[in-house]
Amino acid sequence: MIDAVHLLQAATDSLPAYRDFPVIGSRAAVWIAAEIHLMFAAFVLGVPMFAVVAEAIGIFGKDQRYDRLAKEFTRLLLIAYSATAIWGAVLTFLLATLYPKFFAYLTTIFGVSMWIYVSIFFLESFTLYLYYYGWDRWKAGRAKVVHWGLGILLNLWGTLVMFIADSWLTYMMTPPRDVTPDTAPGSIKLWHAILNHTWMPINIHRLIGNVVFGGAIVGAYASYRFLAAKTDEERAHYDWMGYVGNFIAISALIVLPFAGYWLGREIYQYDQSMGITMMGGFMSWLWVIQAFLIAVLFLTGNYYLWVGMGRIPGAERFRPYTKWLLAVLVLGAIVWGTPHTMIADSRELAAMGGSHHPFLGALGVMSAKNTAVNLMILTTFLSFLLYRRANIRTVVPWARAGTMIQGGMFGVAAAIVLFFGIRGYFVEAIIRIGYSVYQVGAVLACIIFVTVIDVLMARGAQSLGAIQWGKMPPRSQYALFILAVTFTWLMGLMGFARSGIRQHWHVWQVVQDTTKYAATPALGQAAIMISICVLIFLSLVGFIFWLGGLAEKSTFVSAAPAGKEGQHVGH
Amino acid sequence: MWGTNLRILGVVLGTLALYTLIANKIPQVQSEVPRALTLGADVTPEQLAQAGEQVFTGIGGCTTCHGLGTRAPNLLTDEKGQGPIGARCGKREAGKDCKAYLHEALTQPGAFVVTGYEPIMPDMTRTLSPQQIWAVIAYLESQGGTITVAASDIPAGSQGGPTPGASPGIAGGSSDPMTIIRGAGCIGCHKIGTEGGAVGPDLTHVGGRLSPAGIREAILLPNAKVTKGYERFAGIMPKVFGDQLTANQLEALVTFLAGHK
Repeated sequence: MIDAVHLLQAATDSLPAYRDFPVIGSRAAVWIAAEIHLMFAAFVLGVPMFAVVAEAIGIFGKDQRYDRLAKEFTRLLLIAYSATAIWGAVLTFLLATLYPKFFAYLTTIFGVSMWIYVSIFFLESFTLYLYYYGWDRWKAGRAKVVHWGLGILLNLWGTLVMFIADSWLTYMMTPPRDVTPDTAPGSIKLWHAILNHTWMPINIHRLIGNVVFGGAIVGAYASYRFLAAKTDEERAHYDWMGYVGNFIAISALIVLPFAGYWLGREIYQYDQSMGITMMGGFMSWLWVIQAFLIAVLFLTGNYYLWVGMGRIPGAERFRPYTKWLLAVLVLGAIVWGTPHTMIADSRELAAMGGSHHPFLGALGVMSAKNTAVNLMILTTFLSFLLYRRANIRTVVPWARAGTMIQGGMFGVAAAIVLFFGIRGYFVEAIIRIGYSVYQVGAVLACIIFVTVIDVLMARGAQSLGAIQWGKMPPRSQYALFILAVTFTWLMGLMGFARSGIRQHWHVWQVVQDTTKYAATPALGQAAIMISICVLIFLSLVGFIFWLGGLAEKSTFVSAAPAGKEGQHVGH
Repeated sequence: MWGTNLRILGVVLGTLALYTLIANKIPQVQSEVPRALTLGADVTPEQLAQAGEQVFTGIGGCTTCHGLGTRAPNLLTDEKGQGPIGARCGKREAGKDCKAYLHEALTQPGAFVVTGYEPIMPDMTRTLSPQQIWAVIAYLESQGGTITVAASDIPAGSQGGPTPGASPGIAGGSSDPMTIIRGAGCIGCHKIGTEGGAVGPDLTHVGGRLSPAGIREAILLPNAKVTKGYERFAGIMPKVFGDQLTANQLEALVTFLAGHK
């Protein structure tokens, strides 16, 4: 027995730490597998969230369109789910064969959670099959509510699976402080490793991010089907579906930065140098690219809404305002994209005349950036509000006063954002950081209260004509594709930021990467990798969309129910 | 339909190409793995300066404070018309040439503090080898001045790691609490009496709110408890004082602070 143990130990000791992957190398292989797995995972975790909400609207609002929409969302999940599992297996095999010692280290700590993960994955799969294939069987009465319960259960399993997987990667970023290079992995308690600094912030950030991503991909699916549609009915349905996908993506995007701030704060609290590496070190330019991408998202999302107003009778009243909305968005994007703390060599510093260019010093700071992004969020919300209002004339006696109150709320929120943005230049950092809370609070309060007033004002409103779903120019649909590509690319970029700040460590300051790929690549090389991953993912998604169309061509609503035709999401 | 598919493909590929192009057009900075510095006896000033630049922007972590010019003087740019550090270092401290001044700044940072800045500079002999320190000096001299560091300045057989034989403890092992506080850079963030910053809690009356055990814990395990109102700065205080202070220094510090009621 002792000989056998010695033999096993010898076998483990002789295990190579690393193996290489042909042509592209081991890091690129794992990068591609992990990224594409994550993209599919985000899709299959995000879509059930709004599928179950759409089904609930169908049940409780007695609107069949939403029920069919939810079913169509779920149909996309089936094949995407297989793709997620396949890429997950590819990632696991690559890790086990290319990084055997490090993978053994992780399994020693997280082995039990990996077994639980697989069990829940099993439950999740069969819940999904029941949910989809039981749709038409359990379509009325109590059975329908039970079916909806299956959808909730599906989300519960999915969330648990994600939380478990998040614990592995966040441990690699922020291992508990008492874990050192000398700590035997077998002595680290599982819950202690799971409950690390960034686990919950990543969980929440990903939950919201998945909804954004799922909405964007559904939007792209709808636009593809819209462009391929042969009948007006089909076009109308997919136009509506694209609008819903865009609405979900942009709405969730608005709250995503707050989860991002929390994550960033936790990273700084865990290790100041890690935070500095991320924001002011070799990754500092990454945030300028991020700002550019988010500017594209805001501009494209708003552009889609403005074009969409062309198919709404009465929307012409609001058209003159769009140029001002565009101006605010462009100015906000310029300020947000202004870099601040850059690594510069002596020649560059001398050319700037100091550590900061005069513009960078003034506009690159958080006071200016927070002000810009909050005003961009308010502007986007105003676009949604105008879209909602486009084809109705309010009839409640207090409509004029209500509109004035709404305008006042926008004005007060913008004034608060500007006041604290300007005041931030004249106070200490500790006070300035607190100002962002007031700015965000003002914007969120405005969004909530203005929406409540708007819903109350819309009661019994007179219609100026039904929305002419399907009467959208093709360019609006390409805008949805740009949104989907940008969201996917942004996800790859943020994944690089999150993973890259570990630099040459598998587990930050605990397990060092000693491969020839240990140096963290510059943004240009990372961008090429991200684009390759996005291209592979979108090609596979395109194939899935095609399969979706092949398998079932008549899911769309043949005709909108009478009286529901002109309604929007949220009415 | 083929036309539509091609247009979709064009939109997707065009968007990807645009983002990839922009990311490749900005400055490219790769995060290298820190490597041990080995300099031979025939090392040239240029090689020294080149190695020093890598330490300055990399493992030395110098740019965290000196790169911004707010926490510490920016060494690579002009300051008050005196030029970058290589041009002004010889005039900083009376009786010290550039090389001697820079060496003192790196190895005894509390000895001379530039007016207008807090004494937050750590003793670099604790993190850098003599070779790395001399390489940094050569690099700083090259910024507007002439490199005077030579291979003969560098002690033989000191390839990596902190300086062997550096005096134990902070501030040369001094037992004077205020010298330790200044030497450890505490007043860069904490105020005590009339000295210091406002990033961390004021220590002027710390003995009134913390017991000696609490003060000791705050020094050794700064994240164990965070003072109310300073949650945003949790994690900033270095967790190195248990390794850097001698036992005598730690106890002298605890007794001194506990007496500030």
